[in-house]
Amino acid sequence: MMTSGNEYLYLDYAATTPVDKRVAETMASLIAIDGDFANPSAIHIAGRRSTAHVEQAADRLATLLNCQARDLIWTSGATESNNLAIAGAAAYRAIRGKHLMTMPTEHKAVTDVFRALGKCGYEVTWLEPDESGLLDIEALEAAMRDDTQLVSIMHINNETGVTQDIARIGDCCRRHDVLFHVDAAQSVGKLPLDLTSLPVDLMSMTAHKIYGPKGIGALYVVDRPDCHVEPLLFGGGQQRGLRPGTLPVHLIAAFGRAANIAMDHMAGDFEHLTGLRDQLWRGIREVRGIVRNGGGDASFPSILNVSVDDIEGESLLLALEPLCVATGSACNSRNQEPSSVLRALGRSDELAQSAVRFSFGRPTNAADVDFAARQYRSAIDRLRALAPEQPA
Amino acid sequence: MSNEPYNDVVRGLFEAPAHAGDLDGAVMAYAADQGMRIALSARLSQGNIGALRFRAWGCPHFIAAAEAFCTDFEGRPARQLADFRASQVMQTLSVPVEKTGRILVLEDAVRSLGQSVRDGSDPGQGIQ
Repeated sequence: MMTSGNEYLYLDYAATTPVDKRVAETMASLIAIDGDFANPSAIHIAGRRSTAHVEQAADRLATLLNCQARDLIWTSGATESNNLAIAGAAAYRAIRGKHLMTMPTEHKAVTDVFRALGKCGYEVTWLEPDESGLLDIEALEAAMRDDTQLVSIMHINNETGVTQDIARIGDCCRRHDVLFHVDAAQSVGKLPLDLTSLPVDLMSMTAHKIYGPKGIGALYVVDRPDCHVEPLLFGGGQQRGLRPGTLPVHLIAAFGRAANIAMDHMAGDFEHLTGLRDQLWRGIREVRGIVRNGGGDASFPSILNVSVDDIEGESLLLALEPLCVATGSACNSRNQEPSSVLRALGRSDELAQSAVRFSFGRPTNAADVDFAARQYRSAIDRLRALAPEQPA
Repeated sequence: MSNEPYNDVVRGLFEAPAHAGDLDGAVMAYAADQGMRIALSARLSQGNIGALRFRAWGCPHFIAAAEAFCTDFEGRPARQLADFRASQVMQTLSVPVEKTGRILVLEDAVRSLGQSVRDGSDPGQGIQ
């Protein structure tokens, strides 16, 4: 029996999660005529009622992150937050310098922004990870320059689960008076984050990774004179002009509710996910030629990424049906190119293209994982039996 | 635009390739390129292809194309191997144009097999 009751078994929670029914109720209660649907920018009664929902959501998210609610900007999701943080902060600090740093293992919503800035007069240093996927802090320190203005490093890697030490990275940035942006799309609501004590200046997040709806995210911008973002969108003046547009009250309220629920589930989820990941690895680790990608101690347990010798990735994905898993990140899974993240970890093209990312969620249970392990072993056996021997 | 990368024919051929395997003492051919690998073996009977088998390493379209070829050509006169065209199977299986090179690897293997048959190669000798 599959948890979802569907004809497939969903193990792609790092790509997106289903909306928690309590969150869906919150959202549904606000969008029709009997809900608080009004534009929160309006000063009439209905507008003020909508504003109250937005403020409550900001308070809930701020409580989850231990930050000030006023330091949160609502966006359409982590991709927009990353764009606003990186391009906006780079523009704000351009007068001081145009040197920026990131890693090739970041999400495309980060790397593509840096590539675009690289074509606009900025200089980007790409910091290579060590073989476990972690940033070498000494290498970061050594790469700092007088004109460095921004470092962007993700917290939990969406493909491998590798978790960076953002406290140490942030300390390094603070010592050099450099802004530190964290793409926390995979960690907000899953790991404790205390933005009052963490040396983080900008943090991107999204609702749909924590059982909230798609289409709503947020950017945290620390309240400090030297940290600011220039807007990317214009028209309307909402959110202090940093991100104009009518606020989607139902989505924001849903994000707040999801954040609220995440706080209650965080410790239990971590234990649950750890058990599932370890169970799956035990079930498949005997497969000949299998390797874990980024499976060291600093790996978040919602993700198990494995590669295997001499298996074609696309056929593996089809042979694994009805499992819904990812090859690389969901955003680029139609791309035939091997994952740049796995290549940066030193995996060959052949190993990178056979990579499968299993990611678990609150609804996943032990029977699901047993089924997934059997399906994986069976698919590998079938494809290997089909393959020709290479002539001597 | 369909979001489904494989049509029902491809799925069926990939999931249950009835012609997967080898034939002892058969004429064989092997081709490898574009990251794909394929071995074909044919048993002949009075100028006809009595049996065809394949082994393949590649994407689902490639494996399905190999199975489709074996299904289509088993029982036909061996001389018709020269008539196999990648374009035909690509149309049947709705293979994306960017995979043309992969299906041409199958075409190469079929041509090798046809040449071996014409040359009367020793059964069991691989052709590369």
